[in-house]
Amino acid sequence: MKGKEKVEINILGQVCPACLLVALKEINNQRKKLKKGEVEVVVRTDHRDATRTIPQSAEAMGYRVVVEKVKTYYEIRIS
Amino acid sequence: MKSRPPKESDLRGQIEQLTELNRRYIQYIRQKVNQLLEVMGTQPLRPEELDDETLLEFDPIGIVAGAFQQILEHLRETVQELEMARDELQAIFNATGVGISIIDTNFRIIRCNEKQRQMLVSEPSEDIRGRFCYEVYCYKDSPGLDCPAVETMATGKAVTLREVKKKGRFFQVVTTPLRDSEGGIKGVIEVLIDVTEKKKAEELMLRTEKLVSLGQMAAGIAHELNTPLGNILGYARLLEKDPSLSEKQAERVRIIAEQANRCSRIIKGLLDFARKPDDERLNAECNLTEAINSALSLLKKEADKRQIEIILEDGTFPSVRGHAREIEQVFVNIILNALQAIGRKGRVTIKGSVRENSVVVEISDTGPGIPEEIKDRVFDPFFTTKLPGEGTGLGLSISAGTMSRLGGGIEVENLKAGGTVFRLFFPLTGGSER
Repeated sequence: MKGKEKVEINILGQVCPACLLVALKEINNQRKKLKKGEVEVVVRTDHRDATRTIPQSAEAMGYRVVVEKVKTYYEIRIS
Repeated sequence: MKSRPPKESDLRGQIEQLTELNRRYIQYIRQKVNQLLEVMGTQPLRPEELDDETLLEFDPIGIVAGAFQQILEHLRETVQELEMARDELQAIFNATGVGISIIDTNFRIIRCNEKQRQMLVSEPSEDIRGRFCYEVYCYKDSPGLDCPAVETMATGKAVTLREVKKKGRFFQVVTTPLRDSEGGIKGVIEVLIDVTEKKKAEELMLRTEKLVSLGQMAAGIAHELNTPLGNILGYARLLEKDPSLSEKQAERVRIIAEQANRCSRIIKGLLDFARKPDDERLNAECNLTEAINSALSLLKKEADKRQIEIILEDGTFPSVRGHAREIEQVFVNIILNALQAIGRKGRVTIKGSVRENSVVVEISDTGPGIPEEIKDRVFDPFFTTKLPGEGTGLGLSISAGTMSRLGGGIEVENLKAGGTVFRLFFPLTGGSER
């Protein structure tokens, strides 16, 4: 089985709401592939507030979101 | 006309004006972006996060608009899915074989399915939403003390009522609480299952069990009594012929012989009743028309004596499986019963029809009908309301036993116009072959 394409965005060091806007921009760009389940958008952030706002918005768009703490930052996986 | 070049001071003024205008536009865009970000659940943008130039390049309004478009699409899809699920649920709600009602805490019907309507509502087209369940379902002006919905609302527990009679049928009612998101009771779901057929089958089973045990007992007693009874009858007949007896004594001996004869007939009935079916008798073919005519010829005298007219509505019936003599005896028992119920002057009507896999013979009379309280017992052995000497109470139970052995059945119903109808169900030859 072919693995999913992974698009990673690194916003370490940035704070909300810029984090959210960057993440939303990427979700908008990948919307067709996301709908087909062909891609996973991975957002790396160390801003705690973003782990609430990004998943909330992505879930409202109907995507599956998993938040995981990795070492010193968070990884938000949207698919 | 030649235009003059603008003065430096004018230009400076214009630049200031435009800069101010630009500042206001940027401020307006920031304000709108912040409003949108607030809708998205986050904080306003700080100027140090994005300077004015980057802000315009970054196009936050475009990004949020794109996100909104996706949210709206998802909402539309969700609404469509919900509508589909609602339609499917409604179809299941209507197609299920049980009646379902949802009742609020004021006992108002929020909704009910088609089955419930058919089973309980007198006018199926009537809109009963919003009406009180006790009015529509129970014809009362307040909830009854025995109402399971009242108990479920009070205790929060499911309640089952095994048997409720409504509109001439029997129902099992189950009420379960309908809870809101906080767990409070916001109503009751009432499920109604028609158990009439099941109840009939159970009654038949009970009757059959009674008949079997009675049959075993009767066979034993009858066998033991037959020999001494034969002796009594024989000696009585012998004594009857003794010329030395006075007329009074001879009369008494005749009574002894007559009574012994009656005992013998009862014993014969018991033995018939207890006789185990054999394949030969079960597999024989019987012409129903002949069996009925033969029974009618036996009963003609009795009917004439009572001035009762017997009408055979449809003279031809299909053949059924069973022993002709036994089936004839069933007709004799039921018709004689009808004649005795009428007493004098009246009418017995016999008609036949074919329903699904059965031949149904209906024997109705213009008698007084059977009181409801004893209707369930008329097929019980030795149950009789007749005067002593008129019947043994075995006729109907023997008939029920015979019909059950034939794979058919018997039922009784009081007619609205008065009188009673007995229905005999015979399996159609070939129809029940396996």
